[in-house]
Amino acid sequence: MSDPLLAVENVSVAFGGVQALSDVSLEVRNGEILALIGPNGAGKTTLFNVISGVLRPDAGQVHFAGRAIVGWAPHRIARAGIARTYQIVRPFGRLSVVDNVAVGALVHARSIGQARNDARDIVTFVGLETYADRPASSLTLTQRKRLEVARALALRPRLLLLDEVMAGLTPTEMDGMAEFVLRLSERGIAAVAGIEHVMRLVMRISHRIVVLDAGRRIAEGDPAAIQADPAVIEAYLGAPLGRGD
Amino acid sequence: MKRGAAAIAALVIVLLILAPLRLNGYAMDLTYITVLSIGLAYGWNIISGYAGYFSFGQIAFFGVGAYATGLLVADLHWYWVPAALVGGVAACALAIPLGYVMLRLRGPFFAMGMFGMAQMVRVLVTAIPATGSGSGLFLPPGSGITGVYYWTLAVCLGAIALTMWIEGSAFGLRLRALREDEQVAATLGVETTRAKITAFGLSALIPGLLGGGYALFLTYIEPDAVFSSRLDLQSIVMAILGGLGTVWGPLVGGLVMTQISEVLWARFPEIYLMIFGGLLVALLIALPRGIVPAIAARFARRRGA
Repeated sequence: MSDPLLAVENVSVAFGGVQALSDVSLEVRNGEILALIGPNGAGKTTLFNVISGVLRPDAGQVHFAGRAIVGWAPHRIARAGIARTYQIVRPFGRLSVVDNVAVGALVHARSIGQARNDARDIVTFVGLETYADRPASSLTLTQRKRLEVARALALRPRLLLLDEVMAGLTPTEMDGMAEFVLRLSERGIAAVAGIEHVMRLVMRISHRIVVLDAGRRIAEGDPAAIQADPAVIEAYLGAPLGRGD
Repeated sequence: MKRGAAAIAALVIVLLILAPLRLNGYAMDLTYITVLSIGLAYGWNIISGYAGYFSFGQIAFFGVGAYATGLLVADLHWYWVPAALVGGVAACALAIPLGYVMLRLRGPFFAMGMFGMAQMVRVLVTAIPATGSGSGLFLPPGSGITGVYYWTLAVCLGAIALTMWIEGSAFGLRLRALREDEQVAATLGVETTRAKITAFGLSALIPGLLGGGYALFLTYIEPDAVFSSRLDLQSIVMAILGGLGTVWGPLVGGLVMTQISEVLWARFPEIYLMIFGGLLVALLIALPRGIVPAIAARFARRRGA
């Protein structure tokens, strides 16, 4: 079997007295869609911060395409082929939609004109072409989510880290986003999708699922196995019924 | 609209080039100080307008440029133009290590940190015995104001050209991205530290080049005169009034501010500062993003309608 694209090895992160991640490991293969699920506070965003270089872990290593990347600056990790979106959308508000995307496209473009051309194609690909020249601050939440993905794609990543891309979307929009992630996977772009709710979609799009709970990896497997795992049901899937919401 | 603005800018520049032929005495000094402040505003606009790092200490680089020039001219008998060039390079060379440390601070911490840094640079420069310490440094009488004025105007036009280039370049896009959200810019592949330090270096080069001319203009330099918080603040207000992070903001803000200030001073000499302050506050409340963005928005609306 070939080496995985991404290997997170025994990563631990503590914030003061809170253990956000304890000895977490996972692997992602080329073109694979891995769903990273877990309740709020499980450590999904922290793990994304570690992989993208925003946060240095207290222990553990991350290998991407065979190279150890812990300690690399975020821009270097981005250029190596890992792109991410943010759970709370963070557009460059005063920049146009095209320029938001062009920032990432600069990594591969030879000129700013070429970067803007590439950005326009991506903006069209995610269906924002009508808004291309407007400031990003004028977009709705749904559109901002798409802009997050468009910016990430401009890096031409081999791996996309999607932090709660479904949150705040209507069911129809979620289906659209799911289709989108599947299409990327068909093009060979792997994805780690951090998702709190919407199990229906998790089951549909993911090749494999890793479950985090309170900073620990409590289960891993294909969708069918995860649905049947008693630990998962107790920690997570069963909880909403118990809470009555 | 673009063509109209370019025509006005060209006219202003031609008038500024011709100014020494018709003006002398007070009017020439005033024109020189206006162009100088506008140049300083362009320097400040790069790090603070485009990169979003508000600095209250860029005047340190002006002072370093002035003193470097003063020393080369007074002690080593250099001709002042190469001395002023060296002053600019010295300011830029100082800014690079300084920026590496200071640009780790953000928001008000950077602003205040730069204020403190400027004081430190001032103390260090005046601690060198050759600078005459606190008592100042005499320069031999120079070429008169015309030479200094053209030097300053040339640096100012260079700063405008540099800003135009930044506005349209990949570097400018990276600066604006990190101004909006530095962490996101980094995860989109922007080498933020390098972009910030480059911007900071350019924002020091311009006042550094201008400082040498100012030393010649004064012919006698002392710490208070060249580390002038008045010049610093004035140029900052010009850039903000005209429009932060825009190509024409510092020029428009600088011309508007100087004209208002002069008219008020001539008519109400006793209370002009009070009226000027009030007017400035009113303008900034009415046009919070500055004059240039307000005009641009109005033209965009008209075109859209």
